[in-house]
Amino acid sequence: MKLSLDWIKDYVELPADLDVSRLMYDLTMSTVEVEGAERMSDRFRNMAVGVINEIVPHPNADKLRICRTDIGHGDVREIVCGGINLARGMKVAVAHPGALVRWHGEGEPVEIKNARLRGVESYGMICASSEIGLSELFPFKEEATIVDLSGFEAPAGTDLAAALGLDDVLLEIDNKSLTNRPDLWGHYGIARELSALYDVPLRGLPDFKLPDGAADVRVAIEDPAKCSRYIGVRIDRVSTKPASFGIRSRIWRVGMRPINALVDVTNYVMLAVGQPTHAFDSGNIEGGITVRRARDGEPLLLLNGRELRLSSGDLVIADDREAVALAGIMGGAKDSILDDTTSIILEIANFEPIGVRVTAQRNDLRTEASVRYEKGIDPQRADQALRLAADMFAAEFPEMTVTGYRDNYPRPLEPTRVEVSLDWMARRMGKRLGDGEIKGMLSRLGFSAEISGDLLLAGSPSWRSTGDISLPDDIMEEIARLHGYENFEPTPITTTFERSINQRGVDLERWLREYLSYRCGMQEVFTYPWVKDEYLDAVFPDRSGMLEISTPPAPDERHVRSSLLPNLLGAVSGNVRYFDDFAIYELSQVFFDRNYASAYDGRELLPEQRRRVTGAFVGWENGVPGLFRRAKGVVENIGRYVHVESLSFGQSARPHWADETVWLNISSGGAEAGHLALLSKRSALAAGIKQSAVMVFDIDVDSLIPLPSRTNKYARLPEYPQVEYDISMIFGDETKWESVESAALGKRGASDLVRSASFVDEYRGKQIPPGKKSITIRLVIGSDRKTLTSDEIESSAAAVKKRLIKQLGGEERT
Amino acid sequence: MKERLAELRREGEARIAAASTTSELQNVKASLIGRRGALADIMREIPSLDVSLRPEMGSAANDLKNFLVRLAEEREEALRLAGSAISPDFDLTVPGIAPDGGALHPITQMCYDLNDAFRSLGFEIFQEGEITSELYAFDNLNFPPDHPARESMDTYWIAGHDSGRGGDRLCLRPHLTGASVRYMQTRRPPYRFVYPGRVYRNETTDARHERAFFQYEALIVDREFPFSAGKVMVKSILDKVFGRDVPVRMRVGFFPFVEPGYEIDMGCLVCGGTGCSVCKHVGWIEIMPGGTPHPNVLRASGLDPSEYTGFYVNIGLDRLVMMRYGVDDVRLFHSADLRFLSQFK
Repeated sequence: MKLSLDWIKDYVELPADLDVSRLMYDLTMSTVEVEGAERMSDRFRNMAVGVINEIVPHPNADKLRICRTDIGHGDVREIVCGGINLARGMKVAVAHPGALVRWHGEGEPVEIKNARLRGVESYGMICASSEIGLSELFPFKEEATIVDLSGFEAPAGTDLAAALGLDDVLLEIDNKSLTNRPDLWGHYGIARELSALYDVPLRGLPDFKLPDGAADVRVAIEDPAKCSRYIGVRIDRVSTKPASFGIRSRIWRVGMRPINALVDVTNYVMLAVGQPTHAFDSGNIEGGITVRRARDGEPLLLLNGRELRLSSGDLVIADDREAVALAGIMGGAKDSILDDTTSIILEIANFEPIGVRVTAQRNDLRTEASVRYEKGIDPQRADQALRLAADMFAAEFPEMTVTGYRDNYPRPLEPTRVEVSLDWMARRMGKRLGDGEIKGMLSRLGFSAEISGDLLLAGSPSWRSTGDISLPDDIMEEIARLHGYENFEPTPITTTFERSINQRGVDLERWLREYLSYRCGMQEVFTYPWVKDEYLDAVFPDRSGMLEISTPPAPDERHVRSSLLPNLLGAVSGNVRYFDDFAIYELSQVFFDRNYASAYDGRELLPEQRRRVTGAFVGWENGVPGLFRRAKGVVENIGRYVHVESLSFGQSARPHWADETVWLNISSGGAEAGHLALLSKRSALAAGIKQSAVMVFDIDVDSLIPLPSRTNKYARLPEYPQVEYDISMIFGDETKWESVESAALGKRGASDLVRSASFVDEYRGKQIPPGKKSITIRLVIGSDRKTLTSDEIESSAAAVKKRLIKQLGGEERT
Repeated sequence: MKERLAELRREGEARIAAASTTSELQNVKASLIGRRGALADIMREIPSLDVSLRPEMGSAANDLKNFLVRLAEEREEALRLAGSAISPDFDLTVPGIAPDGGALHPITQMCYDLNDAFRSLGFEIFQEGEITSELYAFDNLNFPPDHPARESMDTYWIAGHDSGRGGDRLCLRPHLTGASVRYMQTRRPPYRFVYPGRVYRNETTDARHERAFFQYEALIVDREFPFSAGKVMVKSILDKVFGRDVPVRMRVGFFPFVEPGYEIDMGCLVCGGTGCSVCKHVGWIEIMPGGTPHPNVLRASGLDPSEYTGFYVNIGLDRLVMMRYGVDDVRLFHSADLRFLSQFK
């Protein structure tokens, strides 16, 4: 919302020493956010009034003339000008060298310089209105019409902004910060707020006196819940002449285009007090006015030329024949102000906000009126609008008469009364203010205030009684903001200590993320909870059990994920363009259309939601064994590093998206907890991943069982040396490490000297017969009781080899 | 001969000490005690001495030899330890080997920084499901029944669960505040907790708007908690996150679930408050809304609003990270683009 500071000053006398930046700051801190301020005179820098003393023909051009122009203090300059309406004695707008103008009102502003025009030296420029941004205030019919300022009381040399009364400041208010304060829409509301902030008097609006003999205007309200008040005023002997410059200039500077005196006055009233009004041509209103619901399919041609088909949810203003306006939104084309209008019925009405919003939304019609009604306007504001409108019509049309009037007000507004404990308020604010101070602040805001003992009884003014004020907390806020939030001393926070914070479930998530990122070198990513069909098709062609969004971000993104995998593959597919070798994961929630319940409220039914962590290791197609071991190592060590029960592997059901061979199921505490698998070629291709292998782990985080704290086992350090002993043996291709390890360790008794057997590597190739592989095993051999001799070490190793030969058909590699 | 031996001893001591490399030392050794060295020359003259002098001179020469040999050995050891393990041509400008390149998402980093700050003030951390009901997203939070946020233009409702009212009308949560009621309903006051997470709005996206974004909400509820203490809370957290003194101001603001509500601004850290393009030349940046929980919210949580009060803050994590690093497009956070994410460690 744009506000003119001049206009505000019509209603309130601001402190003399108040500068604009202080005013902006104070309003922002206590009332609404002021986003900026524009000094209008900046637009007219280096422009002033000139008076044309003499016009002589240009020696070299038919269309140009030389104007000897007084630019002030008797300084007469020759200005070459092509204006078609130049006249001797005319006052014109002169742009001095250095002024910024737009040629023919178009393009970027250009700086004016002295120039030779067709051989004649010319000073500055005599301007057309479009060249200095004034075409809406000084409309012209023909190109090359220059602004005629002869009607202004301003001698040559007067600054243009001052001559036109445009040395104003425009404030830009953030509309969002106004949503709960409908009383602030308009200059009068802000003036009232400033009068409270600075404790300076607010000026009243002129009185309205209904002339004797005014007839009744018939106004019927069928649904008082939708329209709590309707004032109809019939005004005769008016016309559609242009409004006076003062009115045009005011509404223009805050963003409305002047049209004619009738329309401009209604707009002026709305911008002043925030109450929309509408003028009907009374010649076209058949009989009386009825506020009623539209009939289904009822047609209405609007002012903007759009033809609507209404429904019974819409509220209309109708005459005895048909609908003439869409209530609170826009007038109809036939019955509003026409070029030959001489008599109007002025509507000042109060419409219920939700109905206006719904109708405006359904018809995609947001107007100046509808945005104001949507906020909720107090019905007593109609009085202000009436007083101001009557006064302005009388000023614009001295010969006008009010010939009809009706105020239909079926639902008077009850002012809100709130009781507040002063002690409670002092504790909430952290500061006790004096009774006199509290009463003073409230009365500045228009509230009534009585104090008896600890009790403050506050009555809110009509303009704050539309829902904005209802609780003691609201009254406290009024007092606190007027006192100034900056004037409350910071209060230290105190607490009582009862117990330490121990949240293993919360820590688990963080430890898991830090393990994957810091230990395992994976990059955390976030993807959306809605899934693109393309990636869903790649891994889960069956969508049963998935939830959908009713108005999805895109038609192909309506499913809500039950797995992180599809979008993670999207992320892989996006990154393979730039990287050959990377690892990413996401830890987020997934959702299932099942097990509806709520742990919080019996009225609530929430779907099953679980935390999931899904990771992808991406590398070259032929690097699967390495990728597999890397991914498996990450999953295997989750238990140790994240301090949860360890995870185990098995093969019971291959995920749909997994490779035929490379897949494992993961379980935690005996229950299924996820998968570790290579993405199948088919799924990879469908997700747009070519020539890369993607090793995936996908684990249900809620299945991880956190240990009570950081859990490690201490073993005494060996007293006697232990030796590492590597053996390499050849086995059949099908032999699994698991069985090699178990055969190597044998049935372990207390006397066994082989402490562990671990995998070093696996080799196929030269020197190894086809169908076979060589496995290198590292034994750790030692005793708790003595240092072993080399014979004892050799015989332990030999026993291991013997078991491998006997149980697995191993051959010693020579 | 005695004098010559004494002189050779002085000379030997000086030359051995002066040898600065092993090879130099070898040369010194050879010239002193080598087969053709100075000592050998002297010793060759012993047989020509008077018999009575020979034993004395012989043993003196031998002592000197042993002395010089020991001295040379000591010097050699000293030179060996002082020397480099590698050729002096070794290139010290070769880059180091970087540790494995994983990292947390920059939003997670900020979230954990805040968690650390709040935990140090005794706050618990809470989480709810991202699918919630109208009951918790709106009804409990004092949103009027006709509030526009309840419409599908603003909120992602779940198909098939979008026609009812309250507990069985489901949506992707549009804000975190509903979680605060869940927490309070299931625990006993006083409360101090944070509940970070992702929220969703049906919006048109651009560099400054996202459909999915991250918030961080904190709530204190206690019998006494003046709003002037809320400012202390906000300031201590921002100071900790940014590692410096951050000016904070509270000004009037309106949100349905608080009364009174505030917009909380922090002094612009880019210009230090003098005004720049980042803060739109006002020196302050709107960083979070906050306020005292509305009595209706406390009631929904099972508390008596005349007995309890508190303070909410709701931090926009995306915005805070954007400010911390000068990120200019909010959509990058959900891009999963490693070229972006790998910049934050």
